[in-house]
Amino acid sequence: MDKIRKLTLLANFLAIAIVLNIIESAINVIPVPGAKLGFANVVTLIIIYVYSFKDGMLLTISRVLLVSVLSGKLLGPIFYMSLSGAVVATLAMGFFKKTNFFGMTGVSVLGSIFHTIGQIIAGIFVIGSIAVVAYLPIMLFLSIPAGVLTGIIAKKFYDIWETWHEALG
Amino acid sequence: MQNRNKTQNRRDIILVSILLVIIGSVFVYFNFFAYNQDSAVAHIYYGNSNDPIASIDFVNQEIKYRKQDVPNDYDDIYPIIDTDNRTITLLGDYRVDGRRQIVVIQYNFGAKSVKIIQESSPNNICSLEGTSTGKPLICLPNRIRIEFEKTYDENEPDFTV
Repeated sequence: MDKIRKLTLLANFLAIAIVLNIIESAINVIPVPGAKLGFANVVTLIIIYVYSFKDGMLLTISRVLLVSVLSGKLLGPIFYMSLSGAVVATLAMGFFKKTNFFGMTGVSVLGSIFHTIGQIIAGIFVIGSIAVVAYLPIMLFLSIPAGVLTGIIAKKFYDIWETWHEALG
Repeated sequence: MQNRNKTQNRRDIILVSILLVIIGSVFVYFNFFAYNQDSAVAHIYYGNSNDPIASIDFVNQEIKYRKQDVPNDYDDIYPIIDTDNRTITLLGDYRVDGRRQIVVIQYNFGAKSVKIIQESSPNNICSLEGTSTGKPLICLPNRIRIEFEKTYDENEPDFTV
């Protein structure tokens, strides 16, 4: 029963993450080619806290793959940037969650920062030049409020989840 | 549990504040000081190559270029250098109906600036970037980038950020 519930929830979360990701690519928040602030990371963060790092990573990779298939950008330059950003962010969030030093908002901000760094590193290879680093300051600067926002949303959800889960037994 | 939450909240606030200060100062430095000097040359690159297709020499006010390798079914020879309108036209990587689209770059010797005035891409980020005198312009979907150098050394195609 628990297994089925988990599977259904993960599938729902994946759908939410995909929608968030597509909305995010449609609106131009930042003046950086191919880069995103990573609002879809909110789902990854929730999964890491609710289930495990492994589930979070699996969901993140599936999300990036499915979004790029749906938008026809599979294996294009933007795909590599998204993949690298999302994977690095998930690794960072998993690590900082495990150390238990920061709260959810802190973990989210750090994930956001690493999301940016991961994208820029992939960008260096995609473009073939370190010129992309010129975009790092503005992206890092914007990723802090983005990280705080996703952290607060994830925290709110997590609190509701905890009460709900206790009620269910 | 409650105590632990409180400590973590305080740490979160400290973390965010420290990050804001560090990244904020780097951001301010980059935006207001890093690109203040005049550039001597702007190089236009295509793909992963570090060998520029065209170089705009602001000091001697001339354009140097080499032929861009494009498939045979594209009629024009790229880059197209238009000295009257001060534009350089390259073939980008972004495709519409299977055809690669052009990227038009306008230069200004007097202002030592470069601007991408026409390109096709999903969000048109690089043409919205506007005029640049030092900050690199990058068209990711078209795989075209423009980088500036403060000194012009013909023999060494070095690049700076």
